[in-house]
Amino acid sequence: MSPRAAWTVAVPYLAFFLLPLGWLALTSLWPDAELARALPSHLTLENHAAALAGGGLARAVVNSLLVSGATAALALALAAPAAFAIARLGVRGGRALLAAALAVSMFPPIATAAPLYVALRAARLLDTLPGLVLPYASFSLPLALWLLTGTFRALPAELYRAARVDGCTPLGAFRRVLLPVAAPGIATAGLLVFVFAWNELLYAVTFLTSPARRTVPVALALFGGEFRDPIVVLAAASTLATIPVVAVAVLFQRRVVSGLTAGAVKG
Amino acid sequence: MSARSERRLGAALVVPAGAVLAIVALGPLLATAWLSLRHRVPVLGEDRFLGLGNYRALAADARFWGALANTAYFTALSVALELLLAVPLALALHHVGRGRGALRAAVLVPWILPTVVAAKLWALLLQPDLGLLARLWPGGAAAVLARPTLALHAAILVDVWKTTPFAALLLLAGLQSIPEDLARAARVDGASALRVFRSITLPLLRPAILLALLFRSLDAFRVFDVVFVLTEGGPGHTTEPLSLYAYKTLLRAGSFGLGAAISLVTFLCVVAIGLAWLSALGERRRPEASP
Amino acid sequence: MTPSLRALFLLALAAAFGAACRTREDTRPADRLILRYQPLGPDPAPFRALVAGFERETGVEVEVQALPSGADLAHQLLVTSLGAGGEDMDVFVLDVVWVAELARAGWLADLSDAFPPERVRDEFLAGPAAAVIQGDRTFAVPWYVDVGLLYYRTDLVPEPPRTFAALATAIRRAQAAAPGIAGYLWQGRQYEGLSCNFFEALWGYGGAALDGERLRLDTPAARVALGWLRELVADGLSPRSVVTATEEDARRAFQEGRAVFMRNWPYAWPLLQDPASPVRGKVGVAPLPGETGPAAGALGGWQLGISSRAPPARRAAAARLVAHLTSAAANAVLAIHYGRNPARRAAYEDPRVRAEAPFIAGLLPFVDRARPRPVTPYYMLAADALQGELSAAVSGLRSPAEALGRAQAQADAIAGVAR
Repeated sequence: MSPRAAWTVAVPYLAFFLLPLGWLALTSLWPDAELARALPSHLTLENHAAALAGGGLARAVVNSLLVSGATAALALALAAPAAFAIARLGVRGGRALLAAALAVSMFPPIATAAPLYVALRAARLLDTLPGLVLPYASFSLPLALWLLTGTFRALPAELYRAARVDGCTPLGAFRRVLLPVAAPGIATAGLLVFVFAWNELLYAVTFLTSPARRTVPVALALFGGEFRDPIVVLAAASTLATIPVVAVAVLFQRRVVSGLTAGAVKG
Repeated sequence: MSARSERRLGAALVVPAGAVLAIVALGPLLATAWLSLRHRVPVLGEDRFLGLGNYRALAADARFWGALANTAYFTALSVALELLLAVPLALALHHVGRGRGALRAAVLVPWILPTVVAAKLWALLLQPDLGLLARLWPGGAAAVLARPTLALHAAILVDVWKTTPFAALLLLAGLQSIPEDLARAARVDGASALRVFRSITLPLLRPAILLALLFRSLDAFRVFDVVFVLTEGGPGHTTEPLSLYAYKTLLRAGSFGLGAAISLVTFLCVVAIGLAWLSALGERRRPEASP
Repeated sequence: MTPSLRALFLLALAAAFGAACRTREDTRPADRLILRYQPLGPDPAPFRALVAGFERETGVEVEVQALPSGADLAHQLLVTSLGAGGEDMDVFVLDVVWVAELARAGWLADLSDAFPPERVRDEFLAGPAAAVIQGDRTFAVPWYVDVGLLYYRTDLVPEPPRTFAALATAIRRAQAAAPGIAGYLWQGRQYEGLSCNFFEALWGYGGAALDGERLRLDTPAARVALGWLRELVADGLSPRSVVTATEEDARRAFQEGRAVFMRNWPYAWPLLQDPASPVRGKVGVAPLPGETGPAAGALGGWQLGISSRAPPARRAAAARLVAHLTSAAANAVLAIHYGRNPARRAAYEDPRVRAEAPFIAGLLPFVDRARPRPVTPYYMLAADALQGELSAAVSGLRSPAEALGRAQAQADAIAGVAR
């Protein structure tokens, strides 16, 4: 596919994805009293001001960055070596582990919230950010495992063998040769886990109670009163809160580089 | 280092991941399974062993079967649409030259948006009478959310909008693991782009497609937020998926045993779907290039 | 691993550990209470001052934790926390329909010593008092209330209708004068708001839904009431969109001048009178119509309860906090600064409330007649099934008789009649 053809294909998708987002941005600038009209009579920044008032949203963004970053780091730290072991070191029961991991991610979260609450309370991790990171990392581990196992399997076998022949230990070969080449897959897995942790609501709302610890989804869920549903303020808050994640995504996607450096294997 | 000691090292590397999974995820799973065998309504102080009573009750429950049907339909249609849409998108993302960073970031934003916000946005667009769609097509035809047959499709639309980028990202990761020389060699030999795609790219993309199908099916079968925000399962439970039924049973009707049973049934259905995908598309290893 | 990736990785781990250095204590002293409530409004200062006043007087420290504003989410959190032991909080808010349920579960402390039932009935409005007193024991104290009202356009309707028939006539007349305007907006989405609308219609037809502790849903009056709601949509007196509408949908459309009547809670009034509102000065409130005359509005609102697991020392302090927050002075603060309708009858005659929140003061006749939804632990348990059947009837999927029959069957099963 040529780049021009690629752009031709991409444009309809862009329209499909971005037009509603444009409407979201417009809604965030819409005066609340005029929401029932076809179009606003004027644009206003009062929704953004309301969203930022009190600093709660900013704090929530910081908390979310911490939690999501830690979750991604932990999940990758656990999954990458395990995936390498399954893909290259011929671990017995590797497929069983993958299947079991898959089963874990199949469980409806609502049923696990109460038992986890009790467990976290016993471990005195309730209302702490690490108490959130642990369940997040566990439930995103399966996706990371599967993705990274596939990534490592897709690497040419010669890469690992050549490194071993050159005198590397298995771990050395893993760290110095395979990881850099697998960087795109790792970055993808990291990004997926990051976004999953960023948007997770159920556990965050159940396990966190202090205002200082809230993550972004919790902060968004707290907008509005008993009956009031300030969609315009919510729109402003979510557009603001999405910016850091988009920045992270842009950062990661530079690592999601196209093409395998097959040059590493060429003689 | 011998092959056996390699394997032992491998086992050691796998243990941390396995331990975390076992500790944090296995406990609640077992607790739910045990709970599903009891009749437990804390509010009324009822707690007794039932055996398979909850499951028998579900088998006779029209609302359960309705929820199962809704969930199955939702999963089938959204996953099919998402995969079909994701393949061209992944190819486009892979082959785009300049501006690829901006394109990728732009395409990811619907998926990055919290599900609740995305659902509320579409609820706004689809609102009968006042929403954008209702104004563009006046006369009630666009009152999608009020029509039981159409409301579920609105949820599917929102889900497709939101998670096609995720599927595309998984496929893109797969595309990038495919060595370029293979495709280049085939083109040099005179094969058309479509032929290259069908004979070389697609088979090598199979693991990524399987991954996308698997994880998207798992997530779609457990859909909750989208439907909750759009219709709360209404009108008259016609859009209610299994996880919403479990939620309401657990936390509104306060029947923990029955709610756990519904969760477990959902889990088993998802396992069945996973097994189906695995056997259909095969968890085969790629043939090694050299011995 | 490249240097930058490694740095990022280490940074993330460090952040995780940094965040870990903030753990909570497990055992709390008797002079430290935890209050869980829903934020009352954008300005936290008046409420904080109220709590600070209590802290100064008693020397007891109060940690305030916010619950999500969605009733569903708040209920879920409370049940999770109470079910896991209930030691994570001392004082918390409850929706008016949760009291019976949580009291039966044994999670609410019996407050009859600090708040004797006779005194509660005396000082608070009849509706909330009935909701918090179970078996002649007080389980919660009313904090602020809500009631269903009929909003109408004073420029289109000379006199508010008192009966269902008069409502239909008024709508037709107004639609003749202002073509294209919708008639009656209410809440028909599948959620608790629909139940409120249903019960108001039921009471309008002289029906009742409670028989001791059992729910009686499939009665002749109920069928007529549900049928009336369905006919509103079928006959075009209410637009089809009502079937998915919530309070805000109705409020926004009414505020744009697109409807003659609206059923909603008092919160809508200040929004309708906002300077930017097209219907400013053209709206009035009246009691909801009934078959033969005005009917009661549904009771909403929140109460304060104390966790039964709180040790006696903390419980005494918690009772004092509840007394402080539900005092007449506190009622006035909530009314003036947050627009919350007081639960104490005397607060409506408070001169400050009369001066600074005249609309609220004028709500006394409405809140006095506000009627709670069936006060039984089985209500919350059956609420979900009821909402589904009501929604099916209102959107025309099932006949009212069939829907109510099914709702009754499910309510009976929950009450242990069938299971």
